[in-house]
Order: sequence, then C-alpha cells, then structure tokens
Amino acid sequence: MVSARDLRRYAPAMLFLLPAVAGLLLFRIIPIIWAFALSFAEWRIFDQVKWVGLSNYAHILSSPVSLQVLGNTAYYTAIYVPGVIALSLALAVLLNNGLRSSAFFRGAFFLPYITSTVAITLTWRWIFSTRFGLLNHLLETIGWTDPPAWLADPAWALPAVAIVAIWKDAGFFMLLLLAGLQTIDPTVYEAARIDGARPWRRFHTITLPLLSRSLFFVLILALVRSTQTFEITYALTNGGPNRASTTLSFYIYQNAFVQFDMGYASALAYLLCFVTGLVTLINFYFRRRWVYE
Amino acid sequence: MSKPHKASNLSTLTMLYLALGAYGVVTLMPFFWMLITSFKIPADIFRLPPTFYPSKLFSDDPFGNYSEVLGNRNFFGYFLNSLFVSTLAATGQVITCALAGYAFARMELPGKNVIFAAILATAFVPTEVTIIPEFLIMRGLGWIDTYLPLIVPSFLVGSFGTFMLREYFASLPADYGEAARVDGARPFRIFLTIYLPLARPALVSIFVIAFINNWDELLRPLLYLNTPSMHTVPIGLMSFVSEFEADWTLLMAGSVISTLPLVLIYVLCQRYVLQGFAGGGVKG
Repeated sequence: MVSARDLRRYAPAMLFLLPAVAGLLLFRIIPIIWAFALSFAEWRIFDQVKWVGLSNYAHILSSPVSLQVLGNTAYYTAIYVPGVIALSLALAVLLNNGLRSSAFFRGAFFLPYITSTVAITLTWRWIFSTRFGLLNHLLETIGWTDPPAWLADPAWALPAVAIVAIWKDAGFFMLLLLAGLQTIDPTVYEAARIDGARPWRRFHTITLPLLSRSLFFVLILALVRSTQTFEITYALTNGGPNRASTTLSFYIYQNAFVQFDMGYASALAYLLCFVTGLVTLINFYFRRRWVYE
Repeated sequence: MSKPHKASNLSTLTMLYLALGAYGVVTLMPFFWMLITSFKIPADIFRLPPTFYPSKLFSDDPFGNYSEVLGNRNFFGYFLNSLFVSTLAATGQVITCALAGYAFARMELPGKNVIFAAILATAFVPTEVTIIPEFLIMRGLGWIDTYLPLIVPSFLVGSFGTFMLREYFASLPADYGEAARVDGARPFRIFLTIYLPLARPALVSIFVIAFINNWDELLRPLLYLNTPSMHTVPIGLMSFVSEFEADWTLLMAGSVISTLPLVLIYVLCQRYVLQGFAGGGVKG
C-alpha cells in the first residue's frame, strides 16, 4: 500500500502529470480499446449493438467497394511516397550548396506545409478546373492539345489529390533531409572531388549512403501519411467522381459519420492501423540492407 | 555540423538558381493565384485565357470581395471562432506538455517511465481509430455543438510536445532547482520561476505548431459543430463551396483570410516553426 509519506513525496509529480494522464486515458487508451471492441460489432448509432465476430472484417475483404477503396489507397501510396521523397530529396540537395539565398528558398518551400489546407486545396481545385483552370491553360500552351479533365475524370482525380499532397508536404520532408545532409562531413566530398568523382557519382556514393538514416525515417513517415489523407480529398474531390479518389481514411469517415455505421468503420480503421504497422515492420526488417550505420 | 561546400563555378550556380527559382514558382504560384483571384470580378473568372489582371483592385471598390465575405458571409465571425478555439487549444497543450515534460524529466514517481512510453506509443495510433470512440465520448458528455470537443483533446494530448519538453528540461542543469529547494522553495515554485522561463524557445515552438494544427483542423469542427454561426474558418469555407460553387472570387477572398494568420505567424516565428518541425513535430 502507499503510505502517507510516499503520498506526500509523490504528490507533486502526480499533480503535474494529472492533465497528461487524463488525456492519455480519455482520448487515447479508452478509444483504442473501444474501437477495437466496436470492430466486432454491428452498430448503427441509434440501434442496439449486435456482436458479429469477424464479419465486419470478412465483409471488408469481400465487398467490391471496399476492395476498390483499398486499391485506390495502394495506388495513392504508390504515387505519393516516391513522388514526395524524390522531390524533397532534390530540394534538400539543391539547398545544401551554401548559397546565401538558401534560407529564403527553404522558407518558401516550407510554406505550403503550414498553410491552411482547406483554403489552398480549394485554390488547387480552381487551378485544376478543366476549361478555365490555370494548369490546363499552361499545358495547352506547351502543346498538350487535349489535357485531362482532372477532378472530373476518374482516371485523374486520385493523381490530382496526390499532386496537391506532394506539393504540400515536400517542404516538410525537405526539412528533415536537410538536417540529415548537414551532418555529412564536407571533407568527404572534398576528397571525392580531388579523386575526380563527378557530381552524380558523389551523390550516389556519398550522399545517398550517408543520408540513408534520414531517408529511412522519411520513408516511414511518408508511408504512414499516405494512408491518412482526409482534408485534401474532402476539399478537392469529396472522394469522387464515382468513388475514384476515395481512399481508406476518407472511406472510414464516410462510414462512421455519414452512414453512422460505427462497427464497420472501426473495423476499417483497425485494418488501416494493422496494414500501416505491418508495412512499418517490413521496412524495419529490410532496414539493414540499405541503411548505412 | 559544418558548412557545406560552396558551389562556385558560374554554370553550376546558374543551374542551381534556375532549379530553385523554377520550384519557387511552383510553390508560390497557388498562393499568388489565390490572392489575384480574390481581387477579380466574377466575369474575369471565366475568361480565356486566364487573366492575371486583378480588375477589382483597380475599380472604385478594390476590397469589395473582402467586405462581402467578412460582413455578409459571416467570415469575421468564423475568424474570431477559429482564433478563440486555436488559442485556447494551443495554450492548453503548452501547459499540459510543460507540466508533464517537467515531471518526466525532473520529478520522482514510480512508473513514470511506463506512462511516458504509453504516451509515445499511443501517438502512433492513427486518428481514424480514435476518432469514432472520441465522438461517442463527446456525445455522451453532451458536448456536441460546443467548442469543448475542439479544445479539450488538444489541451490534454500533446505527445510530441511532451517528448520535446522532457528532453529540454532534462538538458537543463539540476543544480538550479537544488539550490532553490535547499532555500525552501516548493516544487511548483521551482518549476514556475526557474525552469519554465528557461524553456521559452521550446514552449513557443509547441504553441505555434499547436496553433497552426488547430487552425487547420477540419474533421473535428465537421463532426461537432452544427450551428452555422459557431463554424470555424475551414468549415465556413467548405459550406461556402456548396452554396456558391461558381463564385471563386469570394471563395478565394475567404481563403486568403484563412491563410493570412498562418503566413503571418510563419514569417514572424519562422525559426520556432522550422525548429519545431525539424525536431520531429508532425502535423495533424
């Protein structure tokens, strides 16, 4: 048992931790357990809870709609992750040349990340407009006579969401990679230069291996982020046309808060959590193959 | 840390600036387009080719779109609502994180490391999982259509901030507190008068990031606010879209209003923002 003396001794720490522990219980631990339980139930918010075992999960894997949504999510990840990593790496390498104006460009490249998502996504919606949009005007000017209808075209709506997300997040990953680049000892480059290594070779044999730890971190974050696209989808396409740009995160929202199908939505959420965890674990398993310690 | 090699030869420099400038245009163009469009008249919108000329700006009513949006479309109200919610939510997060970070770094309590590990581990569970029960909890508490669901979770949960401040307080010398303790100062006094002021840069970073995140929050206002006059800026903008789909001039004026505070904070506190995010602060 806790003695009065112990209580006096630990009381300050307990008081200091009170808000954080309340938050941890109320908004993390209880919801995590509750959602897990709900994933085995059939429950529309005004009905009785009915326990249905694994049938929500079985339904996810057999329903054409959810399979389409899972496919969309994988497709989105396949565009977003390589795209955002390549772009942010290029920007970080460009900025790491000791130019006096680097700070200005770094500041500008990071701006999309902290800006109001809904506002800038609506701006993009207008830029993507098929007839009157800035983008298609530009594409027509450079000779693409029949540019895509973007948000109205099922084949292009999801790539459009990915383009906005890549544009918005590149600055954040750039910042992480820049921090990694700055830990590389410049004398290594100096030595390679003296040995006659060309820029591409220096990038390939020095930058990439020495940056691999930062790149690994960026890869994990980008993968996780790619499964959690909600705001941009909501403001750009609302999941359409015809569900073509509905990814898992958005589908969970629709099930939970438009259909109020809480059980099914919870199962989808746990599936998302499980797949993300699995992909992360697989990456950690292959980490030593390419990450240079 | 050391200075990277400086690019020197002229053709390399030209290439570098061309590449940086080109992406600079890609980054800034949507902001520029938003601003320009907010100073157009509806007829400019459907002009081909698209025009960069902000004709409203040179008319006798240059800020007409803004006064329309702020006044008749209630954006001034949305703006104040967002300001109120974001300020309280961010202030709360700073308080909770500072108290917890300090306790984890400087105070004794059996099992505190378990609590710390739980805070970090649960931070990786996606919002998609926790939001459904959270909604049910808010509904059970009768908090729907109040600002509490927008403020309280941010107030009490700040994994990244707790982590950052624990590191920060642990890096400060323990002697200061010891000396004050010997002089008879109570733990809360030591925290408040000695350590908290020293942590100011970290506190500012956490406040700014939390403010930006809350200002940008879309999902929670969408779930919890029903009364239109209580809307925050992001859902104000969204309801605007469904009502006046075609009026991009007003919509872009509203977008500028919702973007401006964030750009302002970013320009004024850039150091804190960049440090906070580079330290692993993840948005959303």
